[in-house]
Amino acid sequence: MRISYEWLGDFLDLDGVTPKDAADVLTRLGVEVESLTMVDLSNIVIGKVLEQKPHPKSRTPLWIHQVDIGVRVEQIIAGAPNAVPGTLVPVALPGTTVPNGKVVKDMNIAGFKASGMLCSADELMLGEDHSGILLLDRGKPGDPLTSIIPSQAIMEAEITSNRPDCMGHLGVARELAAGLGRPMKRDFMPSFTGTADPPGRELVKVSVDDPDLCSRYIGGVIKGVRVGRSPDWMQRRLRACGVRPINNIVDITNYVLFEYAQPLHAFDLARLNGPAIHVRRAREKEKLLSLDGVVRDLTPDMLVIADALRPVAIAGVIGGEETAVTTATTDILLESANFNGASVRQTSRALGLRTEASSRFERALPPELALAGARRAASLIAELAGGTVHREWADVYPRPQQPVRVILRPALIDDVLGTHVPLEEAESILKRLNFHVKVMGDGEWDVLPPVFRLDVTIPEDLVEEVGRVHGYDRVPPTLPGRRHERWTPATPSLDRRLDAIREVLAGAGYSETWSPALVSGRQLEALRIAAHAMRVSNPLSDDMDTLRTSLLPSLMDAMALNRDRGRLDIRIYEIAEAYLARVGDHNGGQPEEPLRLAALASAGATADEGRDALYRLKSVLDGCVAAMSAPSCMYDRASAELFHPGRCAAVMLDGRQLGYIGELHPTVSAGAGIDGRVVAFEVDVEPMVAESRIPRAQPLPRFPRVQRDLAVIVDETVAAGVLHTAIKEVAGDLLEHVRAFDEYRGAQVSEGHKSVAFTLTFRSPERTLTDAEVDKVMAEIKLGLEKRHRARFRE
Amino acid sequence: MTDPSALTAEAVAAIGKAQTSAELERLEVEYLGRKSGRVSKLLEGIDKLSPEERAALGKAVNESKRAIEEALSGRRSQLEENRLADLAETEAIDVTFPGPPLDRGHVHVLTQVRRQIETVLESLGYQVELGPEVETEWYNFEALNITAGHPAREMWDSFYFSPELLLRAHTSPVQIHAMQRIKEPPIYIITPGRCYRRDAPEATRLPYFSQVEGLAVDKGLTFGDLKGTLLYMIQSLYGRERKVRVRPSFFPFTEPSFEFDVSCGICGGMGCKSCRHKGWLEVGGCGMVHPQVLRNGGIDPAQWNGYAWGFGIERMAMLKHDVDDIRLFYESDLRFLEQF
Repeated sequence: MRISYEWLGDFLDLDGVTPKDAADVLTRLGVEVESLTMVDLSNIVIGKVLEQKPHPKSRTPLWIHQVDIGVRVEQIIAGAPNAVPGTLVPVALPGTTVPNGKVVKDMNIAGFKASGMLCSADELMLGEDHSGILLLDRGKPGDPLTSIIPSQAIMEAEITSNRPDCMGHLGVARELAAGLGRPMKRDFMPSFTGTADPPGRELVKVSVDDPDLCSRYIGGVIKGVRVGRSPDWMQRRLRACGVRPINNIVDITNYVLFEYAQPLHAFDLARLNGPAIHVRRAREKEKLLSLDGVVRDLTPDMLVIADALRPVAIAGVIGGEETAVTTATTDILLESANFNGASVRQTSRALGLRTEASSRFERALPPELALAGARRAASLIAELAGGTVHREWADVYPRPQQPVRVILRPALIDDVLGTHVPLEEAESILKRLNFHVKVMGDGEWDVLPPVFRLDVTIPEDLVEEVGRVHGYDRVPPTLPGRRHERWTPATPSLDRRLDAIREVLAGAGYSETWSPALVSGRQLEALRIAAHAMRVSNPLSDDMDTLRTSLLPSLMDAMALNRDRGRLDIRIYEIAEAYLARVGDHNGGQPEEPLRLAALASAGATADEGRDALYRLKSVLDGCVAAMSAPSCMYDRASAELFHPGRCAAVMLDGRQLGYIGELHPTVSAGAGIDGRVVAFEVDVEPMVAESRIPRAQPLPRFPRVQRDLAVIVDETVAAGVLHTAIKEVAGDLLEHVRAFDEYRGAQVSEGHKSVAFTLTFRSPERTLTDAEVDKVMAEIKLGLEKRHRARFRE
Repeated sequence: MTDPSALTAEAVAAIGKAQTSAELERLEVEYLGRKSGRVSKLLEGIDKLSPEERAALGKAVNESKRAIEEALSGRRSQLEENRLADLAETEAIDVTFPGPPLDRGHVHVLTQVRRQIETVLESLGYQVELGPEVETEWYNFEALNITAGHPAREMWDSFYFSPELLLRAHTSPVQIHAMQRIKEPPIYIITPGRCYRRDAPEATRLPYFSQVEGLAVDKGLTFGDLKGTLLYMIQSLYGRERKVRVRPSFFPFTEPSFEFDVSCGICGGMGCKSCRHKGWLEVGGCGMVHPQVLRNGGIDPAQWNGYAWGFGIERMAMLKHDVDDIRLFYESDLRFLEQF
């Protein structure tokens, strides 16, 4: 909300308090001032236009003015045509910086000298209007503009949702007064009431259908108003709040909104059928031409103000054009009501229309505010538009606001804050904020919050009131500590345990990514991995409408992006959840959220490069598993979505499938916009963590090892993993380690066969092995492989 | 027949002139070779000599051998000494020439910052608690005192799957789960994790982000304790010269509620361009746990009280590393990721 510093001065003495001081105090109290704009008008002068001629040469229409600025006449060129001879205008002379930051210089525009600038309201930050020159209604040529318009300071403040009372200057001023310890100049409830006969409630019948949606409706009748311009000071303050002045009646309703935070509306009484007010839900197919010139389709969810025949306003959001106050209006019905916040929010959203009124009602205003606002507006209308205010307004108040008493044990203040606030100070703070405090016999306080503070209901709320005015910066910081009899032993967090994996991946050249979990459902469908996908019912856009079921598409996108930016060799990984709807659940229950580790690496262009890259990636995955101190993985030939049909393995840990590793299917990588081959894996992390064991030290070997190589020629279909298992089973205890290191097809072996070379390491814990012993085991291994896999051997 | 002493003198002279260890090797073979070495050859025809002459020759040959060996080893160590003395010239390389690039992978900056946060708060006795990202309406809102139609719901515009199921808007639901699981305070936990809000992506916010919240439930906790905890955390992460400012604010799940700021690291709180002349940078929200929230977690507010705070990991990382656009964290551009 915008707060005008000058306006606050109506309610309290601001002597010696600069706008910056006020902003700081308000921020400390909880009215967060996000920016403070100083509008310095002292270097703008008033000028009188003597002559206006079109620029003869310029292609865009420009006007050349002769302007009397008191001491001399200056030639000034402007694009707007409204500064006709005789008008008074604000002039910025060369060398001046106008409030919006523009620096004015001497110029020559297509052969004509221009010495200064005629300012719009927008340039002077006196309003949003930049369509024409701001025309002044009085002033002497040559005088500073501040002789008629004071310099301004405008604060942009964020009002928290529990304090609708601070959405008006009066509420903000009350905070400031409490913070500064200065008295308020004005009471909350104006004493003004109308006196004219007959009673207003006899002139207009008001009825409310649904007290849940409208807890109060006040309709005041004011006759004989003269609609015209509102005074300058009011227009200026409205502009400071970002609102364009319209006429005195509309301006007064807006003014009271920015003062009391109570939205009001004025109807032209003559154009109300009945005249009657019926607060009801809209009927099917009803429409309303609203004040902004749009025909609104109404639905029965929306609360409307209707006359005897038709809707004339959308409750709490906007009024109707047909009953609006115009220059022809003489009698008005002034509405000051209280509408249900949730209902106003819903209507405002459905219409896509947020107004100053709706943004206040949304926060649940206190119904007592309606009366204060109505009285204030009526008194201003009487004063500024000459209206006759009738007595005894219609006031339908089906749900009167109930006072809430809060019983406070004053020691709670010190207990919660952790500092000592003297009781007298605490009591004085509450009183300054208009709370009534009654000290009871047992020392407890019976506190009655003011009617405009519906947010205070429990003792802790009172602690907050005392704390923020006392000053939270005065509370010394401490660390908690007492003698605990119970505790939970420390355990490392899951993410910190996974740092072991990150170390391996970093060493292997893989960089970690964090990518959004919301992805495009269409993309998942195209990849055929959408079976368990959870779809958001209100997405922001269709590229973020579904929770990912796999991390691989995100990594593929990341690879494509980095390719586009000139990277060729890319190795990336992510550790994050996938989201899988449970079988049979259609968005009904919470999904499984398995934590996954996925990695992706570019793998050259040829089949051989792809194979080699995949074997390297297997080593990386093995390294990750080893880093978690989990048992080694096994790899079984498999087929899976996203992967190459001949180059994919299921990753098995202790008989349980963790996921897949392989080369991506060429259509998948091409579909992601990646040229060349890509290898990848995606595995569940939690089983690895579960299988993680504390490594136990093994005694270091005391006797030397013996190494032998063995080239096994077998049918092409026999997997290296199968030979590996066979060797281990046959060899017995002396075989310490075996590993395949080469695979060969070609001239040296017959068609349909391959040669797989293994390195075998033998060792005994008890003695140095002799060649004869090792030869014997090697012979057994060969025999076993011959029998099981019809293997032959290369020498 | 050669005179042993003449042969010795010749050998010693040749050795003295040798310049390389290969030359010495050759001289050693020439003179001391077991069969064809010239010293051994001195013994040719020794069997024809008398016993006295034989003994004298043997002795002379042995002496010759020892003298030559001595000369060899002397010259060898001299040559080695010379070589070491000349290393600065003979083996000098251009040390300014760069090494080959190290293919080091990078841990994501948000992981690094999350790690620092966990480490700092674990040192105060807080433990990490995790919870589901797809939450029920009750845990995300109701249990946190944000009832249906509450005006504050605006602050947490959320993504829904069904009227009861949504992506959590904060990690606060984990606090409720933790209270229900632990049951008996003391409770000192932190809850890092991903959250979602229906805000269009821009430089300062994203519809997805990561949060860490802290919760303490114990006997007699105060606002001063909350303030001290925040100060400890901020100073541990950013340096001990940093200050923390706590401003009143509003959240339905805490009472009183605050936002907390850290003093600008560039101007130290005086106001500069980088803090938009405020002197302070917003970090997160905090407050004393609302009694109703304790009740919803199954904790009796008459016996226990608590404080809680929360902030975005991205925000912390932006403040720490001068990142000006939050979207960079999630774009996976290696040119960004490799800076950390």
